[in-house]
Amino acid sequence: MERKHFLKSLLMGAASAPVLLSACGKDTVSPTSSTTTTGTTGTTGTGSGSCTVAPTETEGPFPTKVPASYVRSDIKDGKTGYELGITISITNSNSSCAALAGALVDIWHCDAEGNYSEYGGSGMQATNYQAVHFLRGRQTTDANGQVKFTSIFPGWYSGRATHIHVHVYAANGTSLKVTQIAFPEGTGSAVAAVNGYAKGLSGYTANASDNVFSDGVSLEMAAVTGSTTAGFQLAISLAVPA
Amino acid sequence: MPVRTITLCYRKIMDASATRPWDKLVWDDSYAEFRLQAQTFNPGNRYRSFGEILHYVPNAERLHFLVSGAVTGYVQQLNERMPDVLDNLGRQFLKFNRFQFELINSDLQDKSKHQVAVNFVSEPLRWHDTVGPYLVVSEARPAAAPTGEILTHLVQLQPFLSIYSLLPAAPDASANAG
Repeated sequence: MERKHFLKSLLMGAASAPVLLSACGKDTVSPTSSTTTTGTTGTTGTGSGSCTVAPTETEGPFPTKVPASYVRSDIKDGKTGYELGITISITNSNSSCAALAGALVDIWHCDAEGNYSEYGGSGMQATNYQAVHFLRGRQTTDANGQVKFTSIFPGWYSGRATHIHVHVYAANGTSLKVTQIAFPEGTGSAVAAVNGYAKGLSGYTANASDNVFSDGVSLEMAAVTGSTTAGFQLAISLAVPA
Repeated sequence: MPVRTITLCYRKIMDASATRPWDKLVWDDSYAEFRLQAQTFNPGNRYRSFGEILHYVPNAERLHFLVSGAVTGYVQQLNERMPDVLDNLGRQFLKFNRFQFELINSDLQDKSKHQVAVNFVSEPLRWHDTVGPYLVVSEARPAAAPTGEILTHLVQLQPFLSIYSLLPAAPDASANAG
């Protein structure tokens, strides 16, 4: 326990040192009390005699409150594929299946090649700040319990049928349901029309063999209409206990 | 010394003591997002700290990425200028377009324990020499001046600033792609 506290105090000391330093710099050299231009050019408080230059800079940036990058209805982020309109209706299974307004609905799915934005570079490596969260979105349900997204038809990857992940939160942020949306398959289906994009459907996992959907898929099955030329529309209603 | 092409990494830590507007927004919003996303890894609310979740729940390290969605908008607002790190003239001079968000500590019931970092990776720099505690660097793009004059910055080695990577020597396309 003592060691833990000692380590913690070390960490806190290191973390706060630049703040102390810049505060000192402001008092002695830079009388303007800009809150956004402090910075460090020097070593921190070792008293070794290495002086530091106080920041003398144009004020800025002027940040404004922004929602998480997930909050948007068009989640394509430049990913190409057949357009897919997604309409999800949320109902409350604890309230006679009435429409649930004000719920947060997160969705995420893979791109045409079967890759998620999470994998391949953005994990433990620094990554470009643009488009790191492609094909992920969050919307709040309207009075009809509905949210709409614009995306592309998901590709597929080994071991899984085509699917979209969904996480529904109550307005206060409490998790209500984590689930997945399944796609109809077989002759005449959108999955058949898209034909797995460049990969084809050789080796594709059907819903019946999918380890998530094989225990019964009826409550997770979306209605999917459209064509590769006109784009596709997906609709599903999900009941959650709110 | 041979001129090397490098990128610098600045690890900017934000905790409950954050006061500057950008820092505070990042700290606040990343906490709210953490409370949302942590539920996926914490059914039944068995754990309350990020450390516990990370220790006991497989794949919980995904939370770094999942929570980063709350931060990218603020990173964008910096307009690719790296904050806080100044040259010896007291000016910001580093540009970035890569970053990595990191949860350090957090607690679902105690916001004051929430501590995060944004790691900024600079665009490539040519490291010409070292004078005392200062690196003499210039932008990695070829010098425009016909006289061969190369404008430089002195940047002091300091806590939370490190050399992130070494790049192939010539200021070629890959070094400038950033």
